[in-house]
Amino acid sequence: MLDAGLCNYVLVSYGHNGRSSDSFLRMMADMGGDDQVFGHFGAASCYALAARRAMHTFRTGPETWKHIAVGQRKWANLNPRAMFQRQPMSLDDYYNSRMTVEPFRLFDNCLISDGGRAYIVTSAERARDLRHPPVLIMGTGQHNPASDLQTADFMTGSTGAKKAAERAFAVAGIGLGDIDACEIYDCFTYTVEITLQDYGFFGPGEGEEWFKGGTIEPGGRMPVNTSGGLLSEAYFMGLTPLTEAVMQLMGRCGERQLGPQTNTRTPQIILCSDNGGILQTHACHILRRA
Amino acid sequence: MSYDKPLPVKNPDTAAFWEGCRQHELRFEQCGQCGYIRWPPAMLCPRCHSRQAERIVSGGRGTVFTYVVYRETPHPAFRGDLPYVVALVELEEGPRLLTNIVGCLPEQVRCDMPVVVAWEDVAEEVSLPKFRPAF
Repeated sequence: MLDAGLCNYVLVSYGHNGRSSDSFLRMMADMGGDDQVFGHFGAASCYALAARRAMHTFRTGPETWKHIAVGQRKWANLNPRAMFQRQPMSLDDYYNSRMTVEPFRLFDNCLISDGGRAYIVTSAERARDLRHPPVLIMGTGQHNPASDLQTADFMTGSTGAKKAAERAFAVAGIGLGDIDACEIYDCFTYTVEITLQDYGFFGPGEGEEWFKGGTIEPGGRMPVNTSGGLLSEAYFMGLTPLTEAVMQLMGRCGERQLGPQTNTRTPQIILCSDNGGILQTHACHILRRA
Repeated sequence: MSYDKPLPVKNPDTAAFWEGCRQHELRFEQCGQCGYIRWPPAMLCPRCHSRQAERIVSGGRGTVFTYVVYRETPHPAFRGDLPYVVALVELEEGPRLLTNIVGCLPEQVRCDMPVVVAWEDVAEEVSLPKFRPAF
């Protein structure tokens, strides 16, 4: 639309009182249809079905997911906007959180939040003399293997992430090795694992090895979800990861800013994801510092 | 005591399936042109777009494709069932049904475990296809 001259600025916003009202839970319950007959409700239980099949298909489970939950919480502890800023999480805390819908524990689940996020897209030319340094879109890709859960053969990969990323990287003209950090849609811990796996950071079942040792944490070699993400900052759909990528590239992230102060690379390029349904839609964006 | 859990809401796509359940039959529509079994039900074949369809009845045997164990539930009527198992069962004929696994402990359920339909008559005109381990 910007390129075609149909508009000069696009405002993308999201706001919700999901925590203080019951609207989010009601929306989830209404999605269920006849699944409710069998006591099946909401998104967590559907992602748990995918995660359980993944545990059967390749090596994964709480041993892998704990690194995601705990690693992201360390970022949230540096973020004054995070709902969990003041609450650290140890590996024991992860294991001791109550089982909700097995194989998920409470800390495998994202938050429900009150609040919102917004960003503005304009032309690179117009952005040049704005007050803050602009962030450029290098590449973007979508792949939506949408179908009903009953016919989903993609729940253990490849999800839409694989083809979406192939397109985004082809447009950007770069490779995985050029990525400094990732902001991944993390409705559940498993979503982070399957997305990074489909992006090619590691092979099926190699996630535990890849995550362990603080890979995604402050000081790690591939920071992931540096605000705390949907798991530990706040749930604003795909805007939580995307706005964090923009703020990091602008250098506006305070204590959690990527670079020398968190013992990480100063980011030039950040990889972002968004996904919808039960791994049924996927968008991948590659952003860079101007 | 009256049944206080949600009941199926029949629509033009699903009415034939639930009507079959009432007779303890798992009825599906098989494409008259390419043989694909349409589940979830659909007016057109998602593979070849044909409208032709023939009814088949599943033998009621399959395997657990995947499952979860509810340790908590948002619906009060299911609280007495905790912990309970929700699964996708892949029938021998192909379709995957969302259902419950009954007749064993949640800890005994495994992916790819053989199961067989276990009908539960929950209301005068409603029977639900649940599944139990096949021995």
